[in-house]
Amino acid sequence: MRATSRDETDVLVIGAGAGGAAVSKRLSDGGIRVICLEQGDWVNPMERPHMYDSWELERVRSWDWRGNVRQAPEDYPVTGNAAPMMMSGVGGATLLYAGAWPRFKPVDFRKGTEHGVEGTIDWPISYEELEPFYTINDAELAVARRVGDPGNPPRPDGWGPATKGGSLGNLVGAGFNKLGWHWWPADNAILTHDREARLACNDCGFCLSGCTRGSIASADVTYWPRALNNGVDLRTNARVERINVRAGKATGATYIDRLSGQRHEITAKIVVMAANAIGTPRLLLMSAQAGHPDGLANSNGMVGRHLMFHSWAADDFWFDRPLEGFKGVETAVAYSQQFYNTDSSRGFVNGFSLQVGTSLGAANSALGTNTGRRAPWGKDHRDYFANHFGRHALIQVQGEDLPVATNRVTLDRDVVDSSGLPAPHVHYEVHDNDRRLVEWGRTKALEAAHAAGNVVDTATTGVRGLSEPAPGWHIMGTCRMGNTPEDSVTNKWNQTWDVPNLFITDASSLTTGAAVNPTSTLQAVAVRAAEYIKHRFTDIVSQSVTPGNADAPTM
Amino acid sequence: MDIILKRNTPHRAIRDESMKPPMGGWLPGITFTSLQIRTLNAFVDQLIPPGGGFPAPSEVDVVAFFARYLAPAGVEPKWYPFIGENQFRSWLDSLGGAFAQAESAEQLEIVASVERSNPGFFEIVRDMAYYAYYSRSAVITTINRELEAGKDLRNAPQPYGYSDTTEEWDERLFGQITGSYTRTEDVRRVEIPDVLRGTSSKGTEE
Repeated sequence: MRATSRDETDVLVIGAGAGGAAVSKRLSDGGIRVICLEQGDWVNPMERPHMYDSWELERVRSWDWRGNVRQAPEDYPVTGNAAPMMMSGVGGATLLYAGAWPRFKPVDFRKGTEHGVEGTIDWPISYEELEPFYTINDAELAVARRVGDPGNPPRPDGWGPATKGGSLGNLVGAGFNKLGWHWWPADNAILTHDREARLACNDCGFCLSGCTRGSIASADVTYWPRALNNGVDLRTNARVERINVRAGKATGATYIDRLSGQRHEITAKIVVMAANAIGTPRLLLMSAQAGHPDGLANSNGMVGRHLMFHSWAADDFWFDRPLEGFKGVETAVAYSQQFYNTDSSRGFVNGFSLQVGTSLGAANSALGTNTGRRAPWGKDHRDYFANHFGRHALIQVQGEDLPVATNRVTLDRDVVDSSGLPAPHVHYEVHDNDRRLVEWGRTKALEAAHAAGNVVDTATTGVRGLSEPAPGWHIMGTCRMGNTPEDSVTNKWNQTWDVPNLFITDASSLTTGAAVNPTSTLQAVAVRAAEYIKHRFTDIVSQSVTPGNADAPTM
Repeated sequence: MDIILKRNTPHRAIRDESMKPPMGGWLPGITFTSLQIRTLNAFVDQLIPPGGGFPAPSEVDVVAFFARYLAPAGVEPKWYPFIGENQFRSWLDSLGGAFAQAESAEQLEIVASVERSNPGFFEIVRDMAYYAYYSRSAVITTINRELEAGKDLRNAPQPYGYSDTTEEWDERLFGQITGSYTRTEDVRRVEIPDVLRGTSSKGTEE
């Protein structure tokens, strides 16, 4: 292999998704020179399916959330027993996420203290330490929020009010009230007022293929325009082959231009990984080299381990009245966190959120809504459709899954991407604890539905979620931050224990996964790491050994 | 030739769009023979019979939808519905003119036999029929007219959206909400029975 060109920068960021975009923008605010490498490309709003009559079909075709199904040239194959939600492009998986924006709770940072099952450890930071960065990030994205949730610490006003509840939200909310359970309208990273070139949400009901209006806060319409204005050098179609290291320090990376096939080398004083919780361990493992025979930052064998997906069940409920679930935000109308904390008398540790969602359009209704319960063909089709379409509410059990060491990402050298690089192999099994958690949670979802109204039909995915063994919508934990070089891959500043100028700022770094959508937290962690690098750049560059959490320079 | 990228400007290399499925399907779509059209129409009319004011699939040209989404000859059917033109034509031809001309009860039995004998293929054809039928403007209009729950449904989510008809939160609900959270300093060890501490995943390494 011979690099054919060289460039030099202060910080090299790998991946232009949620974490990479936040880091690139925040660093460049401070005048730090940044090159960011992204193996995908920009997505034009007209490449989305929202205006096509076949929009519901495109969701399982060009906008399927699994790269293995899309099979686009920028996607890389994933082998193993799960096909997680991933996207390559400027914005990463935020290009097709729905912007659900809960925060982790204080207890989520102390799960080692609370129970410690399966070797669960505490985060090295607290909610209070992360909170300022949640707030910075929320402001960057313009989050929609109703303040006053009694089930969470106070949060600042949003850019606009919460997204609308619709008939569905009001019905299920009234049901939670009848039971005396906690609930609240979901925070969403979706505009409810216009902001610059982004338009407010018009409640189109179709969020999980991104947003043609820029209402959903995908990184391509939030951080990236400002980062580019700051002078960040964003290189698309640039697939990283290896992180380069010399004398214990990262020196940069080698990438392949996917369009020309040419290799290029970037040298940098600091390298930041933000390639998602599968792509980052994949690349670290691919970067085995002299002095790092098992991959970078992997002297303790932890890179790729502790993969978390959340444990899920999706339960569809059909009512005897119109609910018009084809309107509004798709995945997070409201949530109940009544059963969030560990109560071991239930037969499991950890807890769950009940997340209330919607149901898309007429075709999706005939095709089984969220649980695959299809309308029958033939003479019974018409009645089934009439009694189900537009009368539906989704209540998902979103459980915290344990960080199990054997749930992991490794390399599969028998399968390669379009550049000839080995595929990641994913192995994930639902833990017995998490299976019991979801089964118990399903009884609570059913209770909530019956409290809300007259349920005429139900269907469920069961514990498996939307695909066996779990949907993998949220991929987390494979390079976790921790307390010692023995229990984790990075210190509390996202600095890898083995290579002091190598940082990890995607969901790989999440120590535990909580029972809520993770993007707000991973991005807050990324902002925090960026601010640290910005303030301590000279210190970091001069370090030959990664400091322990107690010894590291403060912000 | 090495491509040196300029800062923050799109480079000149051209993306190969044939590597992705064209949004909306392949236009203008494949052309079926008149017999194939009659056969497909008869088949989908059995899947979604008309009634209750709803038209038959054959009346709303679901064939055109199939024609856009079946991979044209020469294109690998690697994206949904994972069926190529030649395979689909062969299947329609195997049903033959007799199917299109058969009595409804006989057609129904043949459709059921396809479901039994080739369930995977049948599932895709059925699902495609659902996607196609419920994408047709005439069907959306019927839903608007016939179903209270669908009176506001539009043919596609954008550009109009539904802000004009989406219900706001009922403010009366918020006075009743309760809840609490555990502060960081209040997190304590919970009692974990041995049975929970001892449980584990299968714990297999791959």
